[in-house]
Amino acid sequence: MKNKYSNIGLLFFVLIGVVPFAAAFIYSVLYSFGVVGVVNDGFTTRFWESSLTSGEFFKSFGYSAAIAAVSVTISVGLALWLALKFTKELNRKLLSFVIYLPLAIPGVVAAFFTFQLFSKAGFFSRLSYKLGWLEEARQFPDLVNDQYAIGIILTFITGVMPFFVLLFLNVYKNERVADLSRLAYSLGATPRQITWRVSLPVMLRKTWTLVVLYFIFLLGAYEVPLILGQESPQMLSVLVIREIKQYDLTKISEGYVVAVIYTIIVSLAAILLFSKKSKTTEAIVDN
Amino acid sequence: MVHSQCLKTFIVNRIFYAFALLVGLVSCNSTPIESEINLSEAPWDTITQEASGTTVNFMMWQGNPSLNDYINNYVIPRVKELHNIDLEITGGQGPEVVQLVMGEKQAGVEKGQVDIVWINGETFFQLRKIDGLWGPFVKKLPSSKYINFDNPFISIDFQQPVNYMEAPWGMGQYALVYDSAQVSNPPRNLNQLEAYLKENPGTFTISNDFSGMTLLKSFLAEIGGSPTSLDGEFDEEKYNRLSEQLWDYINRNKRYFWKGGSTFPKEHTKVDQMFATGELHLVYGFSEGGIEDKIRDGLFPKTTRAYAWDNGTILNSNYLGIPYNSSNKAGAMTVINFLMSPEAQFEKLTRNGREARTVLDLNLLPEEWRMKFENAPKPQYSPDLEKLAKKAIKEPAPEYMIRLYDDFRTEVIEK
Repeated sequence: MKNKYSNIGLLFFVLIGVVPFAAAFIYSVLYSFGVVGVVNDGFTTRFWESSLTSGEFFKSFGYSAAIAAVSVTISVGLALWLALKFTKELNRKLLSFVIYLPLAIPGVVAAFFTFQLFSKAGFFSRLSYKLGWLEEARQFPDLVNDQYAIGIILTFITGVMPFFVLLFLNVYKNERVADLSRLAYSLGATPRQITWRVSLPVMLRKTWTLVVLYFIFLLGAYEVPLILGQESPQMLSVLVIREIKQYDLTKISEGYVVAVIYTIIVSLAAILLFSKKSKTTEAIVDN
Repeated sequence: MVHSQCLKTFIVNRIFYAFALLVGLVSCNSTPIESEINLSEAPWDTITQEASGTTVNFMMWQGNPSLNDYINNYVIPRVKELHNIDLEITGGQGPEVVQLVMGEKQAGVEKGQVDIVWINGETFFQLRKIDGLWGPFVKKLPSSKYINFDNPFISIDFQQPVNYMEAPWGMGQYALVYDSAQVSNPPRNLNQLEAYLKENPGTFTISNDFSGMTLLKSFLAEIGGSPTSLDGEFDEEKYNRLSEQLWDYINRNKRYFWKGGSTFPKEHTKVDQMFATGELHLVYGFSEGGIEDKIRDGLFPKTTRAYAWDNGTILNSNYLGIPYNSSNKAGAMTVINFLMSPEAQFEKLTRNGREARTVLDLNLLPEEWRMKFENAPKPQYSPDLEKLAKKAIKEPAPEYMIRLYDDFRTEVIEK
């Protein structure tokens, strides 16, 4: 009986999870080679050539990867610091409410908040102007739609960091890091050694797959870079949508080329990640 | 038994259809289901009767509160009252319309989701390219007798003959906008703009969208030497020559643009917002600059003014079309006829003052309506229409827009 149910479960997973994804992928591949598409007229490698030679994809990929890496690194760093430094405080009601609140805010809203707060006509700019720090609101530093993606990174961190705090606190408890630290201390380790050689390695080894998954997730983010990014370079999803919606219908396939390359890279990364099927992942899922 | 057999077939069909839609491999042989009546030959009364009691889906850009108010609080109740039609509005503009029609065409959807689309020249060009529009139908509508199809600003859309495939709905001229409290002498040509930029760095930009490209077309026409320099079919050699000078002009002044020209706003709405907050001092917009309703709503200061470029700004119409696979063409025709009627056009003109022009030709209207239109309250803040109209230029061929979009990105944004 149980077997039957698990078969049905598998069937649903394939129907809902695999078939649409595979169909969309095949469709994108066909579109990128001009096989489907109302204005396309048959197989061609033209779109692949122009996409690969223009260099825009690689620029966008590098840009997205850099933003995702910086955001994840800062988020994880901060979250580790908070979780280790304020373990007790974070278990209190009010503080935990404040720190987890951003988890409930959707990306679009978070991006909108950032814009309202940090744009040149935003809250902080006006405040600085009122306080006489600026002569003109326009002198406020470039924090949204800016060259260094500060707005995007800031928004990512506010969204991602609370999640990691939550995760690290759980791991801290489940892996009994406190007990291990005490043990290390009694064996003569300095506080510094306890942090760097006991707590951090234990916690990171248990969570690194999730860290990498978050990196992949941010790599493909759409709304936040759409609202807070600049026109060039653009993050991958923004680039794909721009190409697909472009005015020149004959070039829509280039958007599908980018989507296909991106899907392949991310799928390969995911397969590599999970083929190792580290026990740590299972441990976390079990918890 | 029969029932369950039917259900099974139905489910199998559904699954197959869903799959086919996903993979998109169904053939493109998509002749829509013909209505029971022949719409091109049936008398108008039969068409409105057929439309009675049906639902019509209208896909339109919903970014303007005044227009939304006009649609929701006037048009929807009125078509229900007059024709017993439930008009439903879906949000979506240019690219979404094209994406939807293209998607349905590829999947062979015979009964499309949308019956009316609000489009302008660029979308018209794209939809014609994929045979996405149904028609010609405009001559069939009784309201079309009030429209002067000899007016090139109505019968020619982006240098393409409209051929009654889309019905004119609104008309407006592009204008530049400034705050007279901040800028005393706004630039009227490229030389003056260069001087203005150096004096007021960071207060001007070009949005990377339809509105911004329309401004670039005005600039291109000025470089070409006359208001008519871009008329006629697309001329590659001319485009290359003129655009090279345009990019050179922009790039050498780029550092005086908003954010030092390091980026450009994605959309025109952002430009409007930045004008409202005082970040930008010189902006632009369609429909006489689009300032009337924004001043009335308190978004723009009362000192806002709009004006035309010396070499002219673009005057164009926007239109209503029926997708090739609309499942309620009779309903769509009835609603479009109403939207073009003197009653609805008059209301559109006077309700919020968003628009200053009508697509109707006053000389063709019955006396009573002509008087009403002539005595309609004039816009308070918009520039004098006749003065502005002297500087009206036609939309150049769509290829200019395609190339400007591409090249603005590669020659300016990415440099």
